[in-house]
Amino acid sequence: MSLLAVSGLHVEVAGRSILSGLDLSVAAGEVHAVMGPNGAGKSTLAHVLAGRSGFDVTAGAMTVAGADLADLSVEERSRLGLFLAFQQPIEIPGVSNMEFLKAAADAHAKHLGQEAPSAVDFIRKARQVAGDLGLDAEFLKRGVNEGFSGGEKKRNEILQMLLLAPKVAVLDETDSGLDIDALKVVADGINAFRGPDNVVLLVTHYQRLLDYVVPDRVHVLADGRIVRSGDRSLALELEAKGYGWLDD
Amino acid sequence: MAGSTTDADALTRQLLHGAGSGYAPWRGRCRFREALAEAGLPAHRTEAWRHTNLGPWLREIADWERRPAAAAAGPDVLAPPAVRVADFASPEAPALAAEHLASTVDLVAQPLATVNALLLEAGIAVRVPPGKHGDAVRIGALAGRFQHVLVAVASGADIALVEAPASYAHRFVEVVVGEGARVAHFRQQAAAGTRACSLLGVKVAEGGCYALAQSSRGALLRRNDIEVALAAGAEASLAGAWRLDGRDHLDNQVAVRHLAPGARSRQIYRGVVGGHARAVLVGRIHVAPGADGTDAVLSTRNLLASDTAAVFAKPELTIHASDVRCAHGATMGALDEAAVFYLRSRGIGEAAAREVLVRGFLREAIADAAGQALLGIAA
Repeated sequence: MSLLAVSGLHVEVAGRSILSGLDLSVAAGEVHAVMGPNGAGKSTLAHVLAGRSGFDVTAGAMTVAGADLADLSVEERSRLGLFLAFQQPIEIPGVSNMEFLKAAADAHAKHLGQEAPSAVDFIRKARQVAGDLGLDAEFLKRGVNEGFSGGEKKRNEILQMLLLAPKVAVLDETDSGLDIDALKVVADGINAFRGPDNVVLLVTHYQRLLDYVVPDRVHVLADGRIVRSGDRSLALELEAKGYGWLDD
Repeated sequence: MAGSTTDADALTRQLLHGAGSGYAPWRGRCRFREALAEAGLPAHRTEAWRHTNLGPWLREIADWERRPAAAAAGPDVLAPPAVRVADFASPEAPALAAEHLASTVDLVAQPLATVNALLLEAGIAVRVPPGKHGDAVRIGALAGRFQHVLVAVASGADIALVEAPASYAHRFVEVVVGEGARVAHFRQQAAAGTRACSLLGVKVAEGGCYALAQSSRGALLRRNDIEVALAAGAEASLAGAWRLDGRDHLDNQVAVRHLAPGARSRQIYRGVVGGHARAVLVGRIHVAPGADGTDAVLSTRNLLASDTAAVFAKPELTIHASDVRCAHGATMGALDEAAVFYLRSRGIGEAAAREVLVRGFLREAIADAAGQALLGIAA
């Protein structure tokens, strides 16, 4: 079964059509990459899945594990198991990273009818996962993304993904702004996360992340639709030829 | 828009010719009456009161003044053993308090202090000896509508002072910080459907250090006047956080006076104002002639949580010295909707997300974890 399914999706922003009939289906255990030129609608796809306001879905459907997202709020989509890693994570001074992570974990536990994790257990787990991503314990005490480097912000997104363990992880340009070492750390995190019960959707302009996180399928998004799909070799072809040849 | 001239004049006459409270007569009355006669009570023409209608408060006082106070219980004060605490009515109070009483502010400029003095019903004097004191002085409720707290901190002492939520018509708190002494002062002002005015006067001697962390919830009327005077090399840090809703009205008038060279002050205020509430912050920095090398910073930011909330924020700098560093900033805005979306995208409900952001915003003012816990804005 598809954990993530998008069919015939039309999206407008301020009356302008951005997505026009997008279809996408990702089965459990798979990693898919959505590539495309700037302005093709890649980030729109990521944000409309998460439920951001300002994007009008005029036709089509989106489901996560069979559940229709249409009438779900942003937080309900998250609790259902959808995770969006932001291209530009937001800085929140005054709110510690740990407080933020715990509030998110508590909200998920409550939704599942579980007891909230104890502070001690949660801190231990968060420290361990942060350590795996090369982030020290102090990092958890700092304000959310406050003064973080670009690489730290992206690693912080991966940390959240690993702690929340979503069914569907949509990673919006998570590779942008990373040096090669940070890219490898982030890729290791994604590879540690991927498993038979979840899916990862990598939204990216460049194929270099795909050297480290090997996708099962690659889709090309142009003019608001998926215009081509293939295996990993499609990404390499795009890198060699650019996006221009798709118009031919 | 303080009160009408009629209200102000009527109460002024009543106080000048009335018997007063008769409490702790050692304090004397003449100088308070003289100051009141000179200044009068604030009417709407008074600049310092242009944002607050004091009329209802004045009428309440005029009415109360004709009635006796309710039976008083003892003051609710906890202090470490070495710290001396005396009720103003007790025999040891004059020796403890007379030296510093009403010494931290200009009574003519603070006429409500004279009302407080003439109608005083509860007062405590606290004397902190030198040395570091592990426990705080905790001041809870005092039995009276007009209250005076005088804290004298000896040179070299180090202590925390905690003012728990309390009800009063006017509370006058004085903190006299000795040379090289350190005082951390926490003030918690709880939500109340009453009109409460307070005056905080602080004098910091050479090399002393005073830090205030104050959190205010709304009231029908809450007015906080704060006057801080700094001697050479003294330091003051004033942090204020407020959160208002409904028809709350909060008026903070703060003045930090750099009287001698090399003093340093930091003021940081963060407020969240919703409903039809109104918040005022006038933050003054005065640098006296000769106070060279002054270093003073004031930052105030308010979040407007509704279209009908109102904020008036105004830094005022008066500088009569050279080689001075003074900086100030004031901003106003709404919660960052991108941040709300970010939190919601992690499963945090919208109301909870806004609450997390509001607390985080207020914690920019009160950075210290112990202070956050005391003031009820901890993580």
